[in-house]
Amino acid sequence: MDMELEAYLRPPEMDMPPYPAKVITLATGGKLVVRQVNRDAVPRLLQAVRPTLEVPRDYYDIVGVRLYAELLGWYRYRVRDEFCLIGQIDGLLVGIVNTRAYSPEVDISLHTLAIERGLRIGAHLFAAKMEYSIEYCGREEVLITAESPIGFRRWMIEYDLEKREGQHELGGATPYALTRDLYYRNKERLVAGERPVPEELMQVAEREIIIASEEDILEKILGAKRRIVQ
Amino acid sequence: MRPVVVAGAGMIPFERRDEDTLVDMMAVASLKAMDDAGLGDRAVDAVYVGNMASGLFNHQVSVASALVDRLSLMPAAADRIENGPASGGSAMKNGFLAVASGYADVVLVVGGEKMREVIGPKATDIVAAMTHPQAEYIYGVTLPALAGLFTRLYMEKYGVTREHLTMVAIKNQENGLLNPYAHIRMKITMEGVLKHPQAHINSPVVADPLHLYDCCPVSDGSAAVLLTTEEIAKDLKKPIVTIDGVGQATDTHTVHERSDPTELKAVIESSKKAFSMANAKPKDVDVAELHDAFTVLEIAESEQAGFFPLGEGAKALERGDTRIGGKLPINPSGGLKARGHPVGATGVAQIVELTWQLRGEAGERQVKKAKTGFSLNFGGFGNNVLAFVMRRKS
Amino acid sequence: MNTITAYKCKQCGLVMYPHHFRCLKCHAREFEEITPSEKGKLLTYTIVEQLPWGIDERGRVLGVVEFDNGVKALGVLHVENPKMGMKLKAGWDCVRVIGGEEVYGLTFQAA
Repeated sequence: MDMELEAYLRPPEMDMPPYPAKVITLATGGKLVVRQVNRDAVPRLLQAVRPTLEVPRDYYDIVGVRLYAELLGWYRYRVRDEFCLIGQIDGLLVGIVNTRAYSPEVDISLHTLAIERGLRIGAHLFAAKMEYSIEYCGREEVLITAESPIGFRRWMIEYDLEKREGQHELGGATPYALTRDLYYRNKERLVAGERPVPEELMQVAEREIIIASEEDILEKILGAKRRIVQ
Repeated sequence: MRPVVVAGAGMIPFERRDEDTLVDMMAVASLKAMDDAGLGDRAVDAVYVGNMASGLFNHQVSVASALVDRLSLMPAAADRIENGPASGGSAMKNGFLAVASGYADVVLVVGGEKMREVIGPKATDIVAAMTHPQAEYIYGVTLPALAGLFTRLYMEKYGVTREHLTMVAIKNQENGLLNPYAHIRMKITMEGVLKHPQAHINSPVVADPLHLYDCCPVSDGSAAVLLTTEEIAKDLKKPIVTIDGVGQATDTHTVHERSDPTELKAVIESSKKAFSMANAKPKDVDVAELHDAFTVLEIAESEQAGFFPLGEGAKALERGDTRIGGKLPINPSGGLKARGHPVGATGVAQIVELTWQLRGEAGERQVKKAKTGFSLNFGGFGNNVLAFVMRRKS
Repeated sequence: MNTITAYKCKQCGLVMYPHHFRCLKCHAREFEEITPSEKGKLLTYTIVEQLPWGIDERGRVLGVVEFDNGVKALGVLHVENPKMGMKLKAGWDCVRVIGGEEVYGLTFQAA
């Protein structure tokens, strides 16, 4: 690689503190490990995103395609200051969230992809990335938009977000902001997790990011739709 | 009155069904009931469709006329019956009366609702349209809110705890795992939805003291039965299951006007009437399908329908009496909590489940030696309730 | 102050709200229109976190109040920590916007 030219193409990077992993006890009693991954994990994560690319239901296709591009861009140094958190149950990848820093004061929330449904995985992971932006990176606010009605309900209504002028990086609906104050006001109600993650759980999570089969992923995100004529 | 036989029963899995229209869902459930009965091409005389709000959810009305056309059942009589969440039960009652009275020999009863066409808060608003327009609706009251007002009083009066409520949810979601037609097929734990210090994030408040896992899901779905006379049914291959008792009663529109709001008078009266018509007693019942739109209702109904003394429903639950294998299994189907609650479909789905249970066709969730079944379909917040007693004829 | 109108049966004295064409107890058809007294006590309440479409708030407290003169009604509570049996004072305020129109109803504050 011509690193001389590459140096021009790579964005500068802001220092970001590590996100300490946490474990969330789910309604099933199962343990969701939420942790930060670095660039090396991206090829693996893309395997889980790929099956969503042509699923129009709940805008999985739009979320999937954009998340795919954002992760790939981060992996190959074309997106600036992105971070990615994942959720795993017994090693199995059940969700991905990502955000990009815009300035030391403002983060831009990008996407939330839940592969397992009905367990509030998306809600837990969204809360985790807000936790990282506000509590660990020290941002004053996070800009948020929604592409699906589920996203709208989860983030806009649950967090009482403040409307902002201008555009969100994704170029869609009017952005809203989760301010530091709103975050702390809603934290007790919405942000779960315990630290440190017990060693054995952490080992299982770190040993391998297990990706469900394409068939399984499709069944999960389509709500296991059973055929009408049985 | 002539005895009324449930000759055929069928339903489609309840869940979110974006791709299917309401009328198509009802047509498929109907075909299943018709095929199950095995009456061949025999004409259906009348069709009763239980549906609460197709006009609001789906912008379609006159769905009974649409259904008979879709199924080519003309010139059968066809009516849509709207009675809130008891629409299915009311359609069942009308079908029952048609056969019992001699007005019709073969009757199709279908319940169906497609609620997921609108997003959650809109569905909540449509369902809330059954409340009193001036005395309740304007305040933002929802059905879970009315249930919340009731639950607080019930807990205080009878010592019911949130643990009891969660036990209902756990039991019914376990049963739902055994039911291929159930919307929610997920085992939940006491730790995950109640005991863990952060469980309130998994199971947030909907209408305090009721949390997410105390409430039934919003579902799409349909269920159907074919009713006929003993004479016609005697040559059919299936075991004979009859509807022997039907009771219906009403209570005040608003919850606040009841002198004792913990007393569900329409549950008490409708159950008494159904038992009396069937010449049966609560202790004769082997399996019950109750209207657990909210966990507290399963406990309250199990008492007020006559199965347990007041205040004893939660104890029976603790003892495991209401589990499959217990003294009186309640909601082996998973109930509204796990099977789901497409409002107009529920009253019919309960009869479908009892038919399968009484015939011995309920698979993994079969209640052993079930001979007598009971169902309760609760409309409004208890202002219009239907009860049914069914038996298997040996 | 604006408030609701309740109905007292001229035959048996039963107080009702909302309106019925026949008395809930004795079926008589003549009523005296009455207004609720200023104060009442809280019979039960719920905190609604999931409100219907059109009400952009969370945690609305709804309660059933029995006024000192026997009228019972539902209303919106502006109370931090509601307690069963607590004394409340009634108000009248916009409780919902329906089809762009402000709709007024009962509100309550701690007395």
